[in-house]
Amino acid sequence: MSRTLAIGRLAVRDLRRRPVEAALLLLALLAATTTLTLGLVLRDAAADPYRSTREATHGPDVVALAGAATLEALAAQPGVAAHSGPFPVAGGRLEAGGHTRDVQMIGRDTAATAVDQPEPVDGGWIRDGGVVLEAAFADALGVHTGDSVTVNGRSFRVAGTAVTAGAAPYPGATCLVTAGCMSGPAPAAGTRVPDGLLRDPGLIWLTRSDMREVTPDQPLSSYVVSLRLSDPGDLGTFIAANTAAAGDPASTDPVSPGASSAGSVPPGASSPGASSDDPSSSGPLFNGAVPGAAGGGPAAVRLIAWTEIRADATAVAADAQILLMIGAWLLGLLAIAGLAVLVGGRMADRTRRVGLIKAVGGTPAVVAAVLLTEHLLVALAAAAAGLLIGSLTAPLLTASSAGLVGSAGIPPMTGPTAATVTGVALAVAVLATAVPAVRAARTSTVRALADAARPPRRSGWLIAVSSRLPVPLLLSLRVAARRPRRTVLAAAGIAVTVSGLHVALILTGFLARPDAVGYSEPQAATLRRTILVWTVTLLILAAVNAVVIAWATVLDNRRTSALARSLGATPAQVSLALAAAQTLPALAGAVLGVYPGGPLLLTAINTATGGDSDRAISPGPWQLLTLILATAVAVAVLTAIPARLATRHPVTESLRAEPT
Amino acid sequence: MSFLRARGLLKEYGAGPGRLRAVDRVDLDVGSGESVAVMGPSGCGKSTLLHLLGGLDRPTDGEIRLDGGRIDDLGEKALARLRRTRIGFVFQSFHLMEELTAAENVEFPALLAGAGTRAARRRALDLLDRVGLSERSRFLPSALSGGQRQRVAVARALVNEPAIVFADEPTGNLDSAATLDVLRLFEDLHDTGQTLIIVTHDARIAATADRLITMRDGAFTDETRLTGGTSSLGHLIGLGADAPTGLEAGPR
Amino acid sequence: MQQEVVLAMLAKEPSHGYELRARLREALGPLGDGMNAGHIYVTLARLEKAGLLAAERPTDGPDRNDRKVYALTPDGQQRVAEWIAEVSWPRPDLAEFHLKLVAAAAAGLADPLTVVDTQRRELLRRLRDAQRAAMDEAGRDPAAALLLEGVVLRLQADLRWLDACEQHWTRRRSRP
Repeated sequence: MSRTLAIGRLAVRDLRRRPVEAALLLLALLAATTTLTLGLVLRDAAADPYRSTREATHGPDVVALAGAATLEALAAQPGVAAHSGPFPVAGGRLEAGGHTRDVQMIGRDTAATAVDQPEPVDGGWIRDGGVVLEAAFADALGVHTGDSVTVNGRSFRVAGTAVTAGAAPYPGATCLVTAGCMSGPAPAAGTRVPDGLLRDPGLIWLTRSDMREVTPDQPLSSYVVSLRLSDPGDLGTFIAANTAAAGDPASTDPVSPGASSAGSVPPGASSPGASSDDPSSSGPLFNGAVPGAAGGGPAAVRLIAWTEIRADATAVAADAQILLMIGAWLLGLLAIAGLAVLVGGRMADRTRRVGLIKAVGGTPAVVAAVLLTEHLLVALAAAAAGLLIGSLTAPLLTASSAGLVGSAGIPPMTGPTAATVTGVALAVAVLATAVPAVRAARTSTVRALADAARPPRRSGWLIAVSSRLPVPLLLSLRVAARRPRRTVLAAAGIAVTVSGLHVALILTGFLARPDAVGYSEPQAATLRRTILVWTVTLLILAAVNAVVIAWATVLDNRRTSALARSLGATPAQVSLALAAAQTLPALAGAVLGVYPGGPLLLTAINTATGGDSDRAISPGPWQLLTLILATAVAVAVLTAIPARLATRHPVTESLRAEPT
Repeated sequence: MSFLRARGLLKEYGAGPGRLRAVDRVDLDVGSGESVAVMGPSGCGKSTLLHLLGGLDRPTDGEIRLDGGRIDDLGEKALARLRRTRIGFVFQSFHLMEELTAAENVEFPALLAGAGTRAARRRALDLLDRVGLSERSRFLPSALSGGQRQRVAVARALVNEPAIVFADEPTGNLDSAATLDVLRLFEDLHDTGQTLIIVTHDARIAATADRLITMRDGAFTDETRLTGGTSSLGHLIGLGADAPTGLEAGPR
Repeated sequence: MQQEVVLAMLAKEPSHGYELRARLREALGPLGDGMNAGHIYVTLARLEKAGLLAAERPTDGPDRNDRKVYALTPDGQQRVAEWIAEVSWPRPDLAEFHLKLVAAAAAGLADPLTVVDTQRRELLRRLRDAQRAAMDEAGRDPAAALLLEGVVLRLQADLRWLDACEQHWTRRRSRP
């Protein structure tokens, strides 16, 4: 027991002796754990958000739209186990906070129903004078419980916001009104638009009496009923049977992917632009009754399978998920590159320190134990902090799928997630220890003390070349050449980042004209926000990496810089050299990231998701050039600070530093 | 007119009662071509003094003049120029760059001073020849013995033809044989008229200087001129009047 | 110089006094310059009287010391053999200097530190001379250089001791 304490104390003391390096290791590990946490949480949240909503709200198997009588008959059919409704449904206009939107209104009872009871995520259920907005719709408008809204000119309070499985969340829309719904940009002038057509409607619920109040002129002839089948597997047969029985040609939405193969489910992962889109159409999307069909007669029934709703609900989320996975992979690569540099650099110091511990009388086992303890302590701290930060920031990303119980219902931190992240962090700790520990056990103490572990690599031709260059370049080339692996890793990290940025630019350009690719504006906005979030994270991680590498380089070259200064180099030349030693490879990395990095990444994404890149619009050459230059400047600024600080130390102090 | 002149040189660390005076109001004059050795026990401040005189550290107070011009109040850039044109430094732990060959190490200050690649290399090879290491110009420091490394360091200090060479415990890390090599080198340097200031606690090196200054607790306590040799060496082995049964020493 | 040295120098073959002197001077290199000729003959005479040497008078000419040929007697040979095998080592005489300092301090004759400084200066001069000579001889006569190196190293040791003396006497002064 006392031995463990002694080792623990040694480990803590060792960490305290080199606080900067310990902090750097923590930072790099933290970036990795945060990334991992985000990825896992998002994977959970985006995986199947619809399912949890369906469970919580007792979602329907079939949603049917028709006149009240027809629906009552339908609900009485033998295959139906339970139902709610029929409820009147109509289109309207909602005004809130200065925005005006089309809405689909459903008049419901205040009492809860057995099937399809929307679940409030904020506030409560409807009451007279109090409307409930669908959660994603409320988010998009920035409306909260208690706010005032106007529906068709009448003022109401928002009683709450809720999620439902009976319709796709905003900005997707399951069209329930006979007049039809439209998503996407306005149709070209001259296109005949049917009366009452709703554009990108949101969904609200209100009491039946309120409903009558806001539709004084319209007869409430359209109703919706939600059905639970006694045999869920009967879905296809039920729909086919009842659609045919109503005497209409199959009037399920011809452009929905779900319709063509009733009962079969389109895979959730769809490539951008293929989700609710007829590849041949390029105009605005008409969802719902075909224009010109006069809304269909009272006997016409429109049946929507829950699978169709789910497809709509998850379409955007699925794309968002893909984007998130891309982001997560890039972040992961970047974190590994950063870690490799840091652990590698620290290991060089390790073997020498290990030699010291051995000289003091520790056996290889003790030595390994101390190293392991140090790394474990840092890893645990990084895991804890990463889990915390990840769980706090995840909602920012899952907001894109708000409206599905995901953001409110799924706990941000699940046991498996926490376990995975901690496990990975500890695994890294063990790995980082294994190599130096083994090496220590094998080297004789004398050798370990005497040698600088990894003596700097010598590159004869580089040295010869550098001697022809002006002093700052001479020094920077030699600094970079001393640790070639670090230089390459730094450039690779920048290449990964810039590839990501390049793809982000492409995707953003892609989404600039959502109609061309089949998204509505709100959907595109959601996707754009997702891209923005991981772009920002990528930039932060790249910046952290750059600073970490800069510090590691400065620490590594402390003695050499002091020596150069004592032999006549000015501090300005030395700082410039240290900064250039990183900026120049970063420039190379940036160029690689633009070409072939970006296109390669895009191809990889398209291969993985089955989409096509034909419609990808490459950003203009000026944009790419700006990207490269901006990267170089950013790296230069980030590395200039540690470089400048390094030359503030008096020369004599730094000369006494241990040679590395 | 002294070549290097220090007046009231003071270096303090810390403040208040815990204040440490490493160099305590030292005055020094060194003439051109003179070789001065500063001796003293560890911690007496001699290395600090050397760093101050050589522009590697700034004094708390006092002034230093090199060839008439003040150097203690120069900016970093001017100090750097001073270090590469007028001052050469030899350190106790050699401080060679491990990944550069002997020749590359020696030519480095010349490159820093802006010399052309070929000129710098030529000067480096000449100097290596002068210190007797011309066949090892391509060797890395790890392949050289301690004495050889120090000789490379001396060559490096000379590459820009400095006005003064400062040496901080040049034989501190060397064994007896290597010390002899370096001793010879310093004697050589002295003979060619190089102004030398050496800090050491090794009496052998100190004995090569013209002037020997003893330092203790940051101040000079003694100064000797070591000129004038004895005409006969016989007394060194006891061929003197006090030898018990020995041979008498010859007439002095 | 020990009498045994003279004996040993005759072990190889008998020789004249002046030959012996020459051999000694050669072996000592530049350090042999101060050697007194007369003393050698005195030593030779003593050794002869002690029965360790046998002198062969020249058959012709006057009976002068420098013309005698000296040779080892069996007793002399035995003495040389014993001497070679001995491990006695010349004792440095530090006691005298130490007592000098003590007496100076006690009787107020001089400041011990000044005495130390003066002695140090002298030793440094000797060190410098010996070192220079060693470097000169290194190429010419390695054996002489070796001897000189021994001198240098001893002087170094003495100087170190003088440093210690100085520290000690400084502390004593500061403690009244």
